[in-house]
Amino acid sequence: MELRRYILKRLVQITIIFFVILTVLFLLFRLAPGDPVSRMVDPDMTPEDAEQLIHQLGLDKPLGIQYLVYLKNFFTGHFGISFHYGEPVVDVIWNRLPNTILLFTTSIILSALVGIFLGKIASWHKGEKTDSVMTIGALVTHTLFLPWLALILIWVFGYKLGWFPINGMISEEVWLDPDAGFIAKGLDIGYHMILPLTTLFLIHFGAYLLIMRSSMLETLKEDYILTARAKGLEEKDIRDRHAAPNAALPVVTSVGLSLAFSINGGALTETVFTWPGIGRELVFSVSQNDYPLAQASFLLIAIVVLISNLVVDVLYAYLDPRIRY
Amino acid sequence: MALLEVEDLCIDYKTKNGYLKAVDGVSFSLERGASLGFVGESGCGKTTIGMGLMGMLPPNGVVRRGRILFEGEDLLRVSAEEMRRVRWRKIAMIFQAAMNALNPVQRVGEQVAEAMLVHNPSLGKEKALKAVEELFELVGLQTDRIRDYPHQYSGGMKQRAIIAMSLACRPSLIIADEPTTALDVIVQDQILAEIRALQKEFNIGIIFISHDISIVADMCHDIGIMYAGQLVEYGPREDVFDSPAHPYTRALLSSFPTLTGKRTDLVPIAGETPDLVHPPEGCRFYDRCQEQIPACREKVSRWVAISPGHKALCCRCEMDGR
Repeated sequence: MELRRYILKRLVQITIIFFVILTVLFLLFRLAPGDPVSRMVDPDMTPEDAEQLIHQLGLDKPLGIQYLVYLKNFFTGHFGISFHYGEPVVDVIWNRLPNTILLFTTSIILSALVGIFLGKIASWHKGEKTDSVMTIGALVTHTLFLPWLALILIWVFGYKLGWFPINGMISEEVWLDPDAGFIAKGLDIGYHMILPLTTLFLIHFGAYLLIMRSSMLETLKEDYILTARAKGLEEKDIRDRHAAPNAALPVVTSVGLSLAFSINGGALTETVFTWPGIGRELVFSVSQNDYPLAQASFLLIAIVVLISNLVVDVLYAYLDPRIRY
Repeated sequence: MALLEVEDLCIDYKTKNGYLKAVDGVSFSLERGASLGFVGESGCGKTTIGMGLMGMLPPNGVVRRGRILFEGEDLLRVSAEEMRRVRWRKIAMIFQAAMNALNPVQRVGEQVAEAMLVHNPSLGKEKALKAVEELFELVGLQTDRIRDYPHQYSGGMKQRAIIAMSLACRPSLIIADEPTTALDVIVQDQILAEIRALQKEFNIGIIFISHDISIVADMCHDIGIMYAGQLVEYGPREDVFDSPAHPYTRALLSSFPTLTGKRTDLVPIAGETPDLVHPPEGCRFYDRCQEQIPACREKVSRWVAISPGHKALCCRCEMDGR
């Protein structure tokens, strides 16, 4: 099983990288000018509470011990108390992360699938009207300014036509209704997701379309496409079975990068739609000097980047056998 | 009836400057189980002939005139769908640059099986893979390599796999376009021996395309020398090698070393091939020919019979009565 060995190898590498990040982050917050206590402990706390938190974070100990406490806190999920919310940082993040993951993963997967499909079609009709329409369409939507598009969509479909909710993720009347079941709640979230999802989709699918199109055009020049044609395959099969799987590889890389940056990069969308996600929170925590939240957020970004890298690597290895060895 | 009869085949490529006459008035025939080799330098149109026979010219390629009678049917008049069904089932191809001829993300065995399944879907994948095993044994590949990917193969193994693939549907004609160009000479020799043996065993007609005259001499009963889109000399291998008639053939032969014959200096052919968008009226080799006479330039060259089955497209040969 080459694939399993490959994944295992990558997991070990990622763990090492993660420890390096963890250490750098520790040093960054400790060695920065100023008193770490003031950065990790809310100045508005009562002296007793502050004392307890300082002890829990190990800030009264030498640096070496602090590091061990820091590691222990990390693995037991203690990141301190958010200055702004006054609740544990873990809870703040935990309440918002799933919302972000739901919105962005859905939008990236959707736009990648549509982009790959349309890019494939465009390349197949290179130079024809279909190609021109798709390429120009992709370029236009991809270069639109996201908040502008979001506001236009909200104005037209939310305000003027009133088809979709203008903001938020849930309707109170549904979630407070004791009779509302799991499905009703899910549908409610889906209903709220339509506008932000459409915005993200419109902005992103064009990039995948263009990557897929140019990748297909390169792939179609390969010798094995000639072989496939000589074998008497139908054009549709040449395109779908031989060209597309090879051409889709660069798109996978691009999807991985988008996944990695969706956590912090989604702040604009989340703000415009008041989507209760993590991106908005990150920007907020930094602007409010909420150090505990910021530190945990940095770690979260690192984790997400590492995980999406791993996902891309595994997917890549699955799609391209040359990677596995 | 000959397996393949090509008459006056003309293939043009549409370019910015006009139509490039890549293949101009080529005629030849091939019997069942026989072998014919085309030799010529790059750009002489030999690969275009192969692609024309497969009905796989690039989008800017057009067949201007001619007939390709294959098993009695003119392949230039069948529909695209019918042509697709002829490909590989009747005419298979062993490609130039075999290194990339296999899809890197599919298992080799599956790619060979695919060739069978395209033309015979009712065979089923399992039976097809069983048949692949036989083919692998036939070409000297270990059957446990069926599930491997192309990058796990050496160059020679890839070429064997392609040969196995070419035999998948038991075609009556195989077009081998530079099948051993990327291989070292020892592997090349093995592969060529393999092709020869299989050709005999299955009575397959082979058209061999190469710039390497020694390979063609080794492999083929008949030889066609090509220059600038035209066939300039055609005949049984011994006749063409022992008494080359066309000055280009002679020049070509003296630009290759020989192991057995007497030692001579290698003579490169000076000059360049003519512009094929506006080819010269007279002989296309005129500018580079060592034996040119004024008539070569003005007169359209005609075929001259040298001996039975051996002919050359040369004005001088005609005058000299060679």
